[in-house]
Amino acid sequence: MDFNYSPSENEFRMELRTWLAAALPQGWGETVFEPEDEHERAMFRLDWERKLHAGGWSGINWPKEYGGRGATLIERGIFAEEMARARAPEGINIIGHNLAGTTILAHGTEEQKKRFLPKIISSDEVWCQGFSEPNAGSDLASVRTRAELKDGKFIVNGQKIWTSYAQYAQWCFALVRTDPDVPKHKGLSFLLIDMSSPGITIRPLRQISGESEFNETFFDNVEVPAENIVGDLNGGWKIAMTTLAYERGPEDALGRQIRFKQELDQLLITLTQTMQGNRSAIDNPAVRQRLARAISEIEIVRLNALRSFSRLLDGADRGSDASMTKLYWSHAAQTMYEVAMDALGPIAPLSGNDPAAASLGRFQLSWLQSKAFTIYSGSSEIQRNIIGERVLGLPR
Amino acid sequence: MNFAFDEEQTSLGDTVARLLADHAALVAPDLSADAAGPAWDALAELGLFAMMVPEERGGAGLGPVDLALSVEAMGASLAPLAAVDALVVTDLLARHGTPAQQEQYLPRLAAGELRVALAMIEKDDDDAPESVKAKVAGGVLNGVKLLVAEGAQADLFAVVAQSDSGPAVYLVPADAAGVSVRAHEDIDPTCAHAAVTFAGVALGDDALVGPAAPARTVARLFDAGAGMMACLLTGIAGRMLDTAVEYARTREQFGQAIGSFQAIKHRCADMAVAVEAARSATYYGVWTLSENAPDRARAVSMAKAYAGEVARHVCNETIQVHGGMGFTWELGIHRFLRRTKVIEHSFGSSVWHNERVLTETLRTLADGEAAQQAAA
Ligand SMILES: Cc1cc2nc3c(=O)[nH]c(=O)nc-3n(C[C@H](O)[C@H](O)[C@H](O)COP(=O)(O)OP(=O)(O)OC[C@H]3O[C@@H](n4cnc5c(N)ncnc54)[C@H](O)[C@@H]3O)c2cc1C
Repeated sequence: MDFNYSPSENEFRMELRTWLAAALPQGWGETVFEPEDEHERAMFRLDWERKLHAGGWSGINWPKEYGGRGATLIERGIFAEEMARARAPEGINIIGHNLAGTTILAHGTEEQKKRFLPKIISSDEVWCQGFSEPNAGSDLASVRTRAELKDGKFIVNGQKIWTSYAQYAQWCFALVRTDPDVPKHKGLSFLLIDMSSPGITIRPLRQISGESEFNETFFDNVEVPAENIVGDLNGGWKIAMTTLAYERGPEDALGRQIRFKQELDQLLITLTQTMQGNRSAIDNPAVRQRLARAISEIEIVRLNALRSFSRLLDGADRGSDASMTKLYWSHAAQTMYEVAMDALGPIAPLSGNDPAAASLGRFQLSWLQSKAFTIYSGSSEIQRNIIGERVLGLPR
Repeated sequence: MNFAFDEEQTSLGDTVARLLADHAALVAPDLSADAAGPAWDALAELGLFAMMVPEERGGAGLGPVDLALSVEAMGASLAPLAAVDALVVTDLLARHGTPAQQEQYLPRLAAGELRVALAMIEKDDDDAPESVKAKVAGGVLNGVKLLVAEGAQADLFAVVAQSDSGPAVYLVPADAAGVSVRAHEDIDPTCAHAAVTFAGVALGDDALVGPAAPARTVARLFDAGAGMMACLLTGIAGRMLDTAVEYARTREQFGQAIGSFQAIKHRCADMAVAVEAARSATYYGVWTLSENAPDRARAVSMAKAYAGEVARHVCNETIQVHGGMGFTWELGIHRFLRRTKVIEHSFGSSVWHNERVLTETLRTLADGEAAQQAAA
């Protein structure tokens, strides 16, 4: 066990830090923030991702031949720390980087890798995830969207739901039913679908935060070339499990921890500057205990991810760890935002642009958004089933 | 950077676990301290007490990280608390002891021959070591210490007391005139806790540990102790988790294993996640102890507070998963529950450590802001 950094690792850190300082706008995170409007914000994030790529800082852990840096796990950790320190914006092609890219790297053909990976890493192509359907959420294997192979093409019909970023996406990876006559896990395939194909309609859905990040996606006789299948025909469940392991895995958790840590730091600074009665908000002893616990939990999200990396390097299996990682970060972050809303005191409900709102109302939005954490990427109940049955060996 | 234990660290942990498994009396339901002696002797024979003694003093020259899994195993098997106190004092003498102290005590500590007990807690104390009222004036110690593990068996006490210039650690032989020991009545008699009174005890010339930096010495003692306690707590939590899961797999009601009910299964899953989180915090905390890293105080406090809360939670849940059996004396879960509560309160409670986590975090943040402003 060793948390010291080698000279080359320190060099990596300083190179990134210098780059970030130059790449981010003057006053970033203090007087200059992301655009308020949802669409403008999405475009801002897309620009940021492209800037990262131009600087050589996108997909750093991918192999060099597909445009990455082949970064070590340590460099990934440093990357996360420096992004947090600089309060760097999030990206919008997270599904492309973390899910589509990793799945194609693991199971794609050489042609698929060459075709798709460079455009993911450059964020020229944004991706969305077509897994969930109105009647197949937790019970993902019961998806009904049909894909029939005819004349070298799949013809896709059906509906996906909760498709995040579909409105910005050029591509969608989808789990579809290619054989309805076999047990449900055995008739699924994993397709890569061009979102500009005729027959695709998307309808935005409004979220509790007021935003419309996710959508309904309809497929009406959509043609997909046969070579756009990943893995075998009817072998899609296995591929989807790889996707889920990455979706719930330490890379994802570490990326998210960047934002949680930024917001927690911002909260602490805000509380030291906010008066409540005759004391500063940070001096409320009841709140202090809970803040400390939140600090520890957000730090543990990072430490859990680093430990996971070390285990993966040792050849451990991705699957079993992932559910524990995801269950932990989602609840840690939700609790942190609840503490934030308590700690802010009477002005906690003030949001957005209200001149009396704390820290530009950012905690209110994050608090609302955090309610999704324990639902998407597999709900907490599903993670607990998986941990109970596959990690602890309890009966079904 | 690497967050994994190496083979030697892992195999030492396994060895300690196997050795202590042979001392089943340590976890027996009855509250007798009789098992402590044989277990202590076996650990001494294994060479555990020599591990943190510097090589030039005949030891293995290891640090807290090297022993983390071993101490975790000691937690899981309810090894004598005093044995861990001995490791903490060894760490302190190795780092801050005067050459004479090292020469006098380390070889006997390494052999497991010298029983040393930690005398820190007082009646009107808060958790901070700075708040003790025991006092050394003109080379004479006065004060009353509580909850000294195996106080009656000790040859030597490491006592935290006020010097003229603040708190310090003193070494006091148990047979010095003015030392008296009274056995406590408490929730975990297996620790053989005692109250120790120091009434006008004349100290030797070389009683002060770390004369160059007494405050740093106290801080090291406290942090090393808290880090080791976090290991013990993590060990207890891990064992309780295993116990609960085993029962959930085998106990049947309504014609099926209770572990198939989600109310039970999900509790077990949450416990498993909590135990892993406690490990993450604990291992990092212990690493900062080995390295004397700048964030030692924060990391150790995080480990101690978090592992304490997890161990308590997992003990409670394990009782619940066992139903009526869980509440029986014979099953012995109460031993872990009792030990956890004692450890939660030694070397600072969760409440105290949480407060320090926040203070240290705010300090680091303010330093960072200041540095950024200076750079701009
Ligand atoms: C913000 C957001 C973004 C999303 N983005 C995407 C996306 O981009 N692509 C995509 O494919 N999907 C996406 N999802 C969908 C998400 O994966 C599903 O919502 C999730 O899997 C739960 O499915 P469901 O909504 O059908 O709920 P249900 O499965 O109906 O669950 C309802 C409740 O029942 C519980 N439950 C269900 N089964 C069990 C069981 N066996 N044991 C115990 N409890 C159970 C659940 O935990 C939950 O509490 C997104 C969801 C959200 C909220």
